[in-house]
Amino acid sequence: MFKYSALVFGLLGVAVLPLLILAIFGSSSPYYLHLVIVIGIFSILVLGLDIVFGYTGEVSLGHSALFGIGAYTAGCMVHHQLLVGGSASGTIDILIAMVLGTIVAAAFGALLALPALQVTGPYLAMVTLAFGTIIGILINETDAITNGPKGITLVKPMLFDLRWLGDTIPMFKIKAALMKDVAFYYLVMATLLGTIVFVNRIVASHYGRAFEALRDSPIASDCMAVSVYKHKVLAFVISAALAGLAGSLFAYSEQYIAPNNFSFEQTIGFLLAVTMGGRKSRIGPILGAIIIVSLPALLGDLQLFRGIAALIAIVAVASGTYAQIKADPKDRIAILVPVLLCLAFFALSLFITNITDFKRSIYGLMILFVVYYLPEGIVGFLRKLVAQFVPGFGKTEHKIDVHGDAAHIWAPPASPALNANGSMIDVKGVVMQFGGLKALDTVDLNVQPRTIHGLIGPNGSGKSTMMNVLTGIYRPTGGDIQFANGSIVGAKSPDIAGKGIARTFQNVQLFGELSVIENVMVGLHHTYETGIAGVALRLPSAAREEQEARVRAASILGFVGLEALANEEARNLPYGKMRLLEIGRALALDPQLLLLDEPAAGLTAPDIKELIAIIRKIKEHGITVILIEHHMDVVMSICDTVTVLDFGQKIAEGKPATVQANPRVIEAYLGGTAAEPAH
Amino acid sequence: MEILFQLIVSGIAVGMIYGIIAFGYQLTFATSKTLNFGQGEALMLGALVGWSTIRYLLSLGLSPMPAYLLMIPVVLVFGMMQGAFVELLGVRQAIKTKSEAGWIMATIALGIIFLNIAENVWGRDDLSFPSPLGNTSLNFFGVRVLPMEIVIVFGAIGMMLLVELFNRTSIYGKAVVATAADRDAAQLMGINTSRVITFSYALSSMVAAFAGIMVAPVTLTGATMGASLGLKAFAVAIIGGLSSGIGVVVGGLILGITETLTGYFISTGYKDVPGLILLLLVLSLKPAGLFGKTAIKKV
Amino acid sequence: MAIKYVLLAAVLSAACAGAVQAQEPIKVGLSGPFTGGSSAMGVSMRDGVKLAVGEINAKGGVMGRPLVVVERDDEAKNEVGVQVAQELINKEKVVATLGFINTGVSLASQRFYQEAEIPVFNNVATGSAVTKQFPAPNYIFRNAAYDTVQSAMIVEEAIGRKGFKKVAILADSTNYGQFGKDDLLKALTAKGMTPVAVEKFNVKDTDMTSQLLKAKEAGAEAILTYAIGPELAQIANGMAKLGWKVPMIGSWTLSMASFIDPAGPNADGAMMPQTFIQAPTTPKRKAFIEAYQAAYKVDRIPSPVSAAQGYDSVYLLAAAIEQAKSTDGVKIREALESLKTKVEGVVTTYDAPFTKDDHEAISGNIPVMGIVKGGRVEAVDMKDLEGDKALRVKPKG
Repeated sequence: MFKYSALVFGLLGVAVLPLLILAIFGSSSPYYLHLVIVIGIFSILVLGLDIVFGYTGEVSLGHSALFGIGAYTAGCMVHHQLLVGGSASGTIDILIAMVLGTIVAAAFGALLALPALQVTGPYLAMVTLAFGTIIGILINETDAITNGPKGITLVKPMLFDLRWLGDTIPMFKIKAALMKDVAFYYLVMATLLGTIVFVNRIVASHYGRAFEALRDSPIASDCMAVSVYKHKVLAFVISAALAGLAGSLFAYSEQYIAPNNFSFEQTIGFLLAVTMGGRKSRIGPILGAIIIVSLPALLGDLQLFRGIAALIAIVAVASGTYAQIKADPKDRIAILVPVLLCLAFFALSLFITNITDFKRSIYGLMILFVVYYLPEGIVGFLRKLVAQFVPGFGKTEHKIDVHGDAAHIWAPPASPALNANGSMIDVKGVVMQFGGLKALDTVDLNVQPRTIHGLIGPNGSGKSTMMNVLTGIYRPTGGDIQFANGSIVGAKSPDIAGKGIARTFQNVQLFGELSVIENVMVGLHHTYETGIAGVALRLPSAAREEQEARVRAASILGFVGLEALANEEARNLPYGKMRLLEIGRALALDPQLLLLDEPAAGLTAPDIKELIAIIRKIKEHGITVILIEHHMDVVMSICDTVTVLDFGQKIAEGKPATVQANPRVIEAYLGGTAAEPAH
Repeated sequence: MEILFQLIVSGIAVGMIYGIIAFGYQLTFATSKTLNFGQGEALMLGALVGWSTIRYLLSLGLSPMPAYLLMIPVVLVFGMMQGAFVELLGVRQAIKTKSEAGWIMATIALGIIFLNIAENVWGRDDLSFPSPLGNTSLNFFGVRVLPMEIVIVFGAIGMMLLVELFNRTSIYGKAVVATAADRDAAQLMGINTSRVITFSYALSSMVAAFAGIMVAPVTLTGATMGASLGLKAFAVAIIGGLSSGIGVVVGGLILGITETLTGYFISTGYKDVPGLILLLLVLSLKPAGLFGKTAIKKV
Repeated sequence: MAIKYVLLAAVLSAACAGAVQAQEPIKVGLSGPFTGGSSAMGVSMRDGVKLAVGEINAKGGVMGRPLVVVERDDEAKNEVGVQVAQELINKEKVVATLGFINTGVSLASQRFYQEAEIPVFNNVATGSAVTKQFPAPNYIFRNAAYDTVQSAMIVEEAIGRKGFKKVAILADSTNYGQFGKDDLLKALTAKGMTPVAVEKFNVKDTDMTSQLLKAKEAGAEAILTYAIGPELAQIANGMAKLGWKVPMIGSWTLSMASFIDPAGPNADGAMMPQTFIQAPTTPKRKAFIEAYQAAYKVDRIPSPVSAAQGYDSVYLLAAAIEQAKSTDGVKIREALESLKTKVEGVVTTYDAPFTKDDHEAISGNIPVMGIVKGGRVEAVDMKDLEGDKALRVKPKG
């Protein structure tokens, strides 16, 4: 953790210091001072957008509306004389405006996210686009509140009044009138710094892990009791709050706001800033904000534009040449394309005489270039470049050095809540129908506590469908499922997981970009009690929880034999280890019932032995297991009871040996008929 | 009463335009789970190319009606090319880069570029599009309708039926349906799914371009004509459902008619609001849309 | 410390050198939308400005120094306008700025010029609030017919001359339309009237049925408009569709090509106040129209009013700089407020157009009512442009 924050803050210092120093230069040039202020404000918003766009992978096209809501919250308060600007007493008022702007925007964000995020796919993008329109109309129409299209005029408050010193401030030779701007600049920078710290803490916490996890595998998140929906809404609300905060500052910095300030094009600009700067970082969004704020100026001045185009071409040729030397011959053409495009861009810049006519095209081309060739943004590109020379650069960020021990593998034992008939789970006549196909046809399944219950059958017999029905991924068409003395039919996956049913997946569903230990820690999400505020303030209880979770995670990794790989990215593990990691992650949920879906698939013989030992130990610790497996030796050696499915129907059930001898089972597996039992 | 009918009739014409653009969203969403955020610009380009074509044909001495009919195939072919271009250059490249949102940004960017090109080619002012049927409105018991508005309603429905018919009967159409049903399975059956996706984009833009030349004679033709139409069509696609043909027609009609009715009975300033609020409501109560089927996730 | 003095000396000597050579150009800012929806006005204004600057430089410039226009696209967006203002003031160090098409951009950006004491010439934006944003010393000037003047003329035409009793107002939902609507309401109240319907619509709306039906049902005899070209065309076409034809009388934007062309025959009869009609009624106007047509190879000026006002604004500013014998903002403002030379412009002859408290060069008597006839704008009464009426001058005092 120390290394992670040290690196981030080191880089932060690099980014922020020049900005702070700039203030002194800026104070002599209001133009640059204003530019830096706007950059600071946009940075706050873009950092927030990164949480949604970078971490959870959802696209919001409504951030400029949220920005506008923040601005208008401040503006309306001033307009209706609930707050004053201008005078010295404005200091408190601007802080009030900032808080209110944040809250109001967060509320609108929730209003928007709650319906829109129920569906995956491009819905959020589409709905936020519509939302932007609604907000625009509302601001325009509610004349009585917002002064409609005529806009609202505000005055920057005098944060510290230095006019008693005379017309100019001694030493700095700054006009006293300008001190207003300088003071406001410091306010913005302080807010930006606060935002950076806030975002850093959130993304380093269990929330940040949840955001990344749900992006990698939404289904696995849901089944780890990390509700995709709730966390996406949470991410969006945080992001909306930051947009509102930025908006309230923007109202004061521009001193005049009107509905047309907050347009669709601005939203595109914000997205471009995140993508171009680099997602999932702090520097990236700030860099992006610098670019989009200076873009109109760059595209307004032909000479400057040509200079920039030349610079880009030089960087492209340099890095392209380097890449040509290093790369696979087959990649050479692919690398050549962006380099040639950069050169063509420079050539184009020499031909254009009237830049304003082609401004939008240039803007569009920039977006395309970033999407195709800089998907990781400038920061990601530089990181990769540096990593070429300094191996391992940027990898140390997430390193967690904690040792686990046997004492921390298992949660304190609790007596399992059983059904009235003493079973762990009781499936009664479940039907699962897809169109005309009955994947499960009135199946009963009664699993006794502290047993290993095998579920076998040929491919397509309905085993995995049963898993999905039990974990709430499918809602059964008919029948009932009793667990912990209550029906779980119709409950959502995260709730079922929260009740104590954990699972692994037939086709591995790990959080690929998280490290091995972090995968387990997502499973431990339920052990955290600290809220967003606690994380942001870094309360001692939050730190304690995190430490406990780490020890626990390391211990579980030790149990499944992956401790040595704790800091490896999960996607880089060999297939067999992935399966073990899934078991470890499921155990982190402290389940009462563990569903294992073909855990032995892809394992070598010694690994399988180890797996059997692990499953036995799991049973010893009082956890009930349902095991789907094709390796008959595994099933026969560890299962207490075996149920056989075929074409969605239960054809046999009983002790392994009995089932193995059942003619219907043999028929199902070997394709013979009951009349001709196997010889 | 006359007024009510007049409002509803005007709403239907506008709604059908929204509906047919939304139909274009459906076509690509079914096969590729992506859609063109620059659909409004596809419509605009179709209308402008149509404008130039019809002007050329008129200058050859053709009368408006045959000129308009001759122009339609030109615009349809152009629309298909434009759609294929968007897919090949925008969507496909962006999806390669592993970022889920890349295609959204790419289609928006292409939309911006098309807009700028149109501004430079056709100018920044709106142009008037010669109407094949004249601008004299017909009077049905006091309700006045432009002949073009009737063409819009039947043209939109006709175009959707044609595309559906093609999908159901021709072998290529069946490939589209198969890809929509299960992309992986379709690929395993030897269908070139990436070509099918390109084709669905071509169809989608073709439909939008067709909408462009239908709407152009009754509104104004210019570089910025597509933006708000494309946005409204999003609302329609969500209200009706991204998977239902009948949904977009009904969604379009709902949105179009609420717009004109709200404009008259509440306030013209608020005319867009009920439709958009309906959108939020539909999403919270029936996220797949009024006529949409809830998709089943596969694990 | 020593370095500082060296620098100071260098700067001073550079300044002296400049004075001696007398060739250092005078930078004038130009802010307007050259892309997007209102770019037709912006581009015509810019072309008018460039035409005037070219003429002045050909005659030896101002105080022997050439004028240089630093043009920036404000995209009709407030925040871009603000950024442009900051850049022109602090980076380009312009002596004055011309332009602004959009009232909103003007209101958002002017504050920075006011604070920096640099004069601004609004040559197209018409919102009445534009010149009244700051108390004296006010650096905001205008040579466009502002909304109070225009709405008084519109109402006079509709109520006074035509004698309509029932009028409806249709305005777009931007600040242009809404500010204008307020001025129209005030002008109507002054005549003791209230409109029978006040409707609005959004830019890019494709269907005006609801608005027009409401006006029609209320029995309106005329429609007073405040909007820009494309939507005005939608209104004209929408009326034709409903088979309902009443006169359209509205702000000067009814003369825009983007209204006249798309509305076609439906545009005929629309009336609007015009500071300038593309007709060679004075030698100056004839010369201007011919120069414009030659320079930009067009027959019809896209927005003649914008072009003419843009052109005149340069001459007004040049006269003030000559009189002030300085490029200092304060002195230019003072010179403008007490302009001694008569400036012969395209719109009018400016004879002491500004005072300390009056920063409007165009008074109510200067514009004439124009009318669309066969795709061109003509004066409602051609006599308004003949003889001694051709040149209307702002009354003194």
